[in-house]
Amino acid sequence: MEITLNHYLVLSTILFAIGLIGVMRRKNLLMLFFATEILLNSVNIGFAAISHYYGDLTGQMFAFFIIAIAASEVAVGLGLLVLWYKRNGSIDLDMMSTMKG
Amino acid sequence: MIEDILLALPLAIVVLGAIVLMLISHFPTVSLKKYNLIAVFFLVCAFILKLTQLDDSNHIYLFEPLFNKMFVIDTFSNLFDLLFLAGAIVTLLINTHYFQERDYYNGEFFSLLLFSVFGMMMLSHANELVTAFISLEIASISVYILVGYNKNSLKSSEAMLTYIVLGALSSTFFILGTALIYGVVGSTFIGDIYSFIQNNPTKEITMLIVALMFIMVTILFKIGAVPFHSWVIDVYQGAPYPITMFMAATFKIAVFAIFLRLYLIDFTHFYDIFSKILQVVAVVTLIGGSWLAISQNNLKRMLAGSSIVHAGYLLIALSSIGLGAEFAAPAIVFYLMSYFLSAVGAFGILSFIAAQRRRRATFDDFKGFSQERPYLAAMMTIFMLSLAGFPSTIGFLAKFYIFLSAIESGQIFLAGLGITVAFISIYYYFKLIALMYFYPTDEEPKKFPFGISSSVIFLMALLTIWGGVGTGWIPFLPGVDTLVETAKEAINSISVKPY
Repeated sequence: MEITLNHYLVLSTILFAIGLIGVMRRKNLLMLFFATEILLNSVNIGFAAISHYYGDLTGQMFAFFIIAIAASEVAVGLGLLVLWYKRNGSIDLDMMSTMKG
Repeated sequence: MIEDILLALPLAIVVLGAIVLMLISHFPTVSLKKYNLIAVFFLVCAFILKLTQLDDSNHIYLFEPLFNKMFVIDTFSNLFDLLFLAGAIVTLLINTHYFQERDYYNGEFFSLLLFSVFGMMMLSHANELVTAFISLEIASISVYILVGYNKNSLKSSEAMLTYIVLGALSSTFFILGTALIYGVVGSTFIGDIYSFIQNNPTKEITMLIVALMFIMVTILFKIGAVPFHSWVIDVYQGAPYPITMFMAATFKIAVFAIFLRLYLIDFTHFYDIFSKILQVVAVVTLIGGSWLAISQNNLKRMLAGSSIVHAGYLLIALSSIGLGAEFAAPAIVFYLMSYFLSAVGAFGILSFIAAQRRRRATFDDFKGFSQERPYLAAMMTIFMLSLAGFPSTIGFLAKFYIFLSAIESGQIFLAGLGITVAFISIYYYFKLIALMYFYPTDEEPKKFPFGISSSVIFLMALLTIWGGVGTGWIPFLPGVDTLVETAKEAINSISVKPY
């Protein structure tokens, strides 16, 4: 069977759904950041596949930019995670309860 | 080429300032005041340069051989750049005392703030969706860090956590929408998308609508419209005062910059669908925001709730654009300017007071404030009146134009709801005024604290009043008409489509 653009797009959608469920269901902060990584990288697959389909390199270039953005977002998140762990001794989301709004 | 460099110079100055501040924050001897001065110096340089370029550039692409058409320079983006720069300058100047009173500020704070301003400026120039995404992220990631800047406060870290998790989630929708558009159109330039829909009115239309909806989800999240508002109040409360001010007054305007550009160009062919969506969102935003604002006891939280309501008014105007109100788009720009003035002033006074006494600013803390500090109380009253849209302040004119455009486009229900909500908002704004003036206090009356912070707040109050009454009364001074004209010109500069 030949793998076409549609297969890649379906894969991208499935990964996006996995990431979305991950962000909603996970209570562990580290897992939350993993889930956002999955979300962004699923879009990367889409970009790369479409760019291959059109035979135009721009999409693959975008994928690199998105990787950089995902990395910087997680870098900030991990910094916060370290701070959070030092204070609470756990990285569970349920510890968040000071403000109710 | 030389002209391009000149036009790019304000952006370059801001990013250069950010890097310089980052480098010198390595030396422990530099005082906070100096950091502040350096940051303000760079911003003022960029501001003056931008001011000279406001009119003379109409639709030039920045470094076209290099970047293709990714960056556009028109009056619209220049005007928004001016607003961001002014927002950052005013934020830094008003909070001079606040920075010195707290022990957690250092050089990197100013560097991050400048990076955030740089991201916003890029956002207003972006003419391509991935560029817009990257600049939105530059601005947001800096703001994420700034929100959690008070490491010692649990609230601040928690606010940052809420914001970063939800913000990262929401921004993935933007890039997903971009990927879908790239799949259909084969390009992500805003103009190319427009001409693709123009030339192929039926091809893959559902996909494009879904993609644009994903993009709108991100934007509605960032402006805190109601289905996506759950983060606003907590984040605004947890963030340090300067950052709350920066987010409410400047960051929100930045998101509207890209939203307006997209809505006026790419959404053109789908106005009938998106106007309906925006109408529904505007209704729930107005009602939900008012309910949130009424139920708060903390002033910061109340202002956060009221900022949701203001986003609702702006959404009314956005939906009227699609239904053919000619003045709706300039009305949005004008409303953003007026909201900027009043919000900066109101948050400025809060942070000015918070710098001096270390307690929460609840409504009760303001009992008898007029006897303690009569001038500050008077200025706070002006800002509250302007936020409520009371005549003779700039807020009234702004709301007037919004409702006018809603009626012009035939949305009588939305205009009526908007006016009702404006009446409801009088409750929570006037509660503060009543508390300030009609209660006694034990505190000794204090002198007017002359300084940078108070004079900048005074200037904001003056501008708020001038925007409401000074239309052509005072000779040799441009009236508020100038602002409206500038807003119109700015919108014209994107509506002229040489794509």
